[in-house]
Amino acid sequence: MAFNPRKFKKILIANRGEIACRIIWTCKEMGIKTVAVHSDVDRDSLHVRFADEAACIGPAPSAQSYLNIPAIISTAEIFNVDAIHPGYGFLAESPYFAEICEACNIKFIGPPANVIRLMGDKIEARRTMHEAGLPIVPGSPGEVTSEEEGIKLAREIGYPVIVKASAGGGGRGMRIVRSEQELGKALETASTEAAAAFNDGSVYIERYIEQPRHIEIQVLADEFGECIHLGERECSIQRRHQKLMEEAPSTVLTPEMRKRMGDAAVAACKKLGYSSAGTVEFLLDVHGNFYFMEMNTRIQVEHPVTEMVTLADIVRNQIRIAEGEPLGYSQDDLLIVGHAIECRINAENPETFAPSPGTISAFNLPGGPGVRVDTFVYSGYQVTPFYDSLIAKVIVHARTRELAIARMKRALEAMVIEGIKTTIPLHQKIMDDPRFRAGDIGTDFMEYFLARNGKKAAAS
Amino acid sequence: MSAPKEQGETPNRRPRAAQRPAPSVNMEELRELIALLRDNGLAELELENEGFRVRLRRESSAGSSYVADVPQHAPASAPVPAAPAPAAAPSGPTHPGTHASTEASQDQDLHIIPSPIVGTFYRSPSPAADPFVKIGSNVEPESVVCIIEAMKLMNEIQAEASGEVVKIYVENGQPVEYGQPLFGIRS
Repeated sequence: MAFNPRKFKKILIANRGEIACRIIWTCKEMGIKTVAVHSDVDRDSLHVRFADEAACIGPAPSAQSYLNIPAIISTAEIFNVDAIHPGYGFLAESPYFAEICEACNIKFIGPPANVIRLMGDKIEARRTMHEAGLPIVPGSPGEVTSEEEGIKLAREIGYPVIVKASAGGGGRGMRIVRSEQELGKALETASTEAAAAFNDGSVYIERYIEQPRHIEIQVLADEFGECIHLGERECSIQRRHQKLMEEAPSTVLTPEMRKRMGDAAVAACKKLGYSSAGTVEFLLDVHGNFYFMEMNTRIQVEHPVTEMVTLADIVRNQIRIAEGEPLGYSQDDLLIVGHAIECRINAENPETFAPSPGTISAFNLPGGPGVRVDTFVYSGYQVTPFYDSLIAKVIVHARTRELAIARMKRALEAMVIEGIKTTIPLHQKIMDDPRFRAGDIGTDFMEYFLARNGKKAAAS
Repeated sequence: MSAPKEQGETPNRRPRAAQRPAPSVNMEELRELIALLRDNGLAELELENEGFRVRLRRESSAGSSYVADVPQHAPASAPVPAAPAPAAAPSGPTHPGTHASTEASQDQDLHIIPSPIVGTFYRSPSPAADPFVKIGSNVEPESVVCIIEAMKLMNEIQAEASGEVVKIYVENGQPVEYGQPLFGIRS
């Protein structure tokens, strides 16, 4: 066994799926041992297969396995790990989990618990980041508790407005309201949805920016107050606020805009006392105004497009920073080369978006120049109905956007998944869409696209 | 609980040996066991049958703390599409439950008590005390059969079945995972 001079000798990955594999790959490159945890239905997952050690921590429902903090901590203690990487989803943004890790002398690979807590509350996050200098969309200063209050605020803000859940995420507890008559009902349904999804029914109102772009800035900060950004990701192609495809760089960001948005994100993160990798999400309107939406205090699904164009390994940096290493880069070191696109391959019907669990009977990965696939499935793998439908991410990198689109088209053609339905055909159609090819995209893109392709506009 | 067919795993040889009727071990079998230990890179091997018990230990450079499968990784260059179902893979991670699962899968006539949680398995309430149950003990559904420690909490595990304890799949002080077979009960 090779000598490993690193501070971390062994890391537990408190996640599953492609991100668990993604973290294991970097750990292997760093000479760090890995411990996988899994539910009983995930026994045959690749993250279990490729970890050095593994333990089954519970049955299929996430609440009893991947969200089961005592079982995860207990496994961490049994295997004597130095740190826990939470991935995304599950416990990644649980300040409580981060605190427990700390109390158990296990390093949580992520920002401090108090920062996670602050950014997890969307109202507090907006207030804090606004104070830290980020522009925000005009909106209610806090929770909206009555219809009268909502009506008064919406008049000041101007229609259309959007009602959002304070504890929100993933599009749940959101309603776009175009007139005063719709507001009362929207407040009520958003609150009910939020209470069901997040156990917190509080909602707020802000101006709805029409045809905005979702542009996010990737940041890296160490524990000594040093912080840089790695440029932006264009994530406007979404359906029901779930991203389908991402690219970097954005077709509309000039170097000056990139600097303005990046510098603003970095300054805010410094004020916040942020450390580790994080993402500051902005809405960008057609006039070039940008507004802070929220901050994700974790690695993101779409991080590979940034890795492709910057050559940074974001997971490696998360681990290094958690080990207490200084960042070691300055903003001037950032180099953005070429263009990268990521397509999320979901086990879903590409037309109805209905989940499609089942056994993968044939599987082929695309290869060749500039293609990367992050996945945890293989031929014979059984896609279960228990977790999200993301089964693979196809990422391409090429010198220009046009070349990247051509590369993605041929990669998707060679990506063969039989036995279940996937969103590959959807991505192939998007690659051929004239608006997409022209770079003319906004968060309304899927609505337009599905209508154009004769499908019910199920996008918003 | 789920006891996947891990054909590629080594420890399924142990129960085969354990099923032999002879209540002793001869030199040839011992040599076989030593070869098994060496060839599979195991650090320690323990064999228990009614009437005898043999324990082999090797000072291993791999330093694995588990008896079961020391990871012997396939070449890192193995292409993902060519990496088929883990069941057919030549190796895998160190899984605390693999050993017991493989063994218990051959005891289909028994009622298996699985571990309800991840933790450390203890057969007695304190190091000096007698074990809760031994081979041959009769248990009722409420009988405490062991303790599993998780996050410093001692969780008493009940039999939830009645009968005679005929198999104990886990050693005292070993880590166990969710669903791992602990005891075999004959009702």
